[in-house]
Amino acid sequence: MPDEPRIDDQTQAPPVRRRRPRGRSQGAASRRVSSLRRSQRRLASEDHPTAGAAEDAASAARPTNRTKGAAEVANSTRARLLASLLHPGRGQILAAIILFIVGAASVMQVRINATDDTYASARREDLIQLLDGLSAESRRLEGEITQLEQTRSNLQSGADTQRVARSEAERHLIELSILAGTAPAEGRGIRMRIADPNAAIDSGVLLDAVEEMRDAGAEVIEVNNTIRVVGSTWFGSDDRGLVIDGKPVTRPITLEVIGEPHSLEEAARFRGGIVSEITGPKIGGQVQIEQEDRVVIESLHASRENQYARPAPPQQTPR
Amino acid sequence: MIPLLGLLAGIVLGIMLEPSIPQILQPYLPIAIVAAMDALFGAFRAYLEGTFTDRVFVVSFISNVLIAAAIVYVGDQIGVGSQLATAVVVVLGIRIFTNAAAIRRALFHA
Repeated sequence: MPDEPRIDDQTQAPPVRRRRPRGRSQGAASRRVSSLRRSQRRLASEDHPTAGAAEDAASAARPTNRTKGAAEVANSTRARLLASLLHPGRGQILAAIILFIVGAASVMQVRINATDDTYASARREDLIQLLDGLSAESRRLEGEITQLEQTRSNLQSGADTQRVARSEAERHLIELSILAGTAPAEGRGIRMRIADPNAAIDSGVLLDAVEEMRDAGAEVIEVNNTIRVVGSTWFGSDDRGLVIDGKPVTRPITLEVIGEPHSLEEAARFRGGIVSEITGPKIGGQVQIEQEDRVVIESLHASRENQYARPAPPQQTPR
Repeated sequence: MIPLLGLLAGIVLGIMLEPSIPQILQPYLPIAIVAAMDALFGAFRAYLEGTFTDRVFVVSFISNVLIAAAIVYVGDQIGVGSQLATAVVVVLGIRIFTNAAAIRRALFHA
């Protein structure tokens, strides 16, 4: 290193200088003196760089740089840079080649990083971890999908069931309200007019007539266009005469019945049936039956709340 | 000047031609680049100090790059690849900073 001899010179020079007059005759001393002379010359060359460079260029070139002022150092470095710029050597060509390689590789790496940033240069264990995480996530999401699909099918079937139940219930309601007489009804049927000039028809005869009609499949029965005959209808007589459900029955009596017209008429007219009973000598009335394509029954039965009867819980079916 | 031109040419060619390196070598490219940067900074420092030798530069560049890549490769084989890569990057980073400090001192004397 160029620093070391210079430091030695500076530390050793003063004492040797003092002893110089005495040690002149000895061989070791003379060697020392000659080395000192050399170092002196070097010191001198540091003081006068141009002379020193001429004298001992090879050994003194670098030390001069170290001991000169900052500005001069920078100047000489820049001068060397300038000189190398102007006169490129083999080293610069090599450096250019290597920098070319480095530049190309850097661009390549940057491009790789930019295109598929994380995965291309990722290590195997990182990739495995990523894959694990992804498959766990996908499992979780698949489970969620299954659950949601199940919920959806549940809701759909629930909605279907509800719809079916509602339409069934509505159908039942219609049937039951017709049966209970709380809804008007229409359909094919017969109209039976009973003339009773002697007022001889009592509740028994009328009940017989209704029973016959029901037996023949009557679905809705109405008396005199005002009284709907339902399950709880009762027939009786009081001082006003014949009453049905507490309402008096005026004569002539008209029965409107919805059902299969032919069977209804046959049921009324068979021998010993209701027609022959009414037209018989005991009552002496007339019966006129018309089959109708459309019988409209609009009178309603006012249903009342059951006071005592309550729905019983359904019994378990015995196995 | 010529080295700078070489660097520019390398960057431009890299951008325009879009060269690709084999998949196997891809994990070692960044390490090799860091090692190359260390060699370049060392060479520039030696140049500023007047001790630059092109032979040393070429040999140190190639050996640095190869050794860095080899260390990471061996690390990959024995299962400590990422740790060794980190170690190499740290060591080379320290060297780059040391070289950069020397370059700064040589250029600006500060």
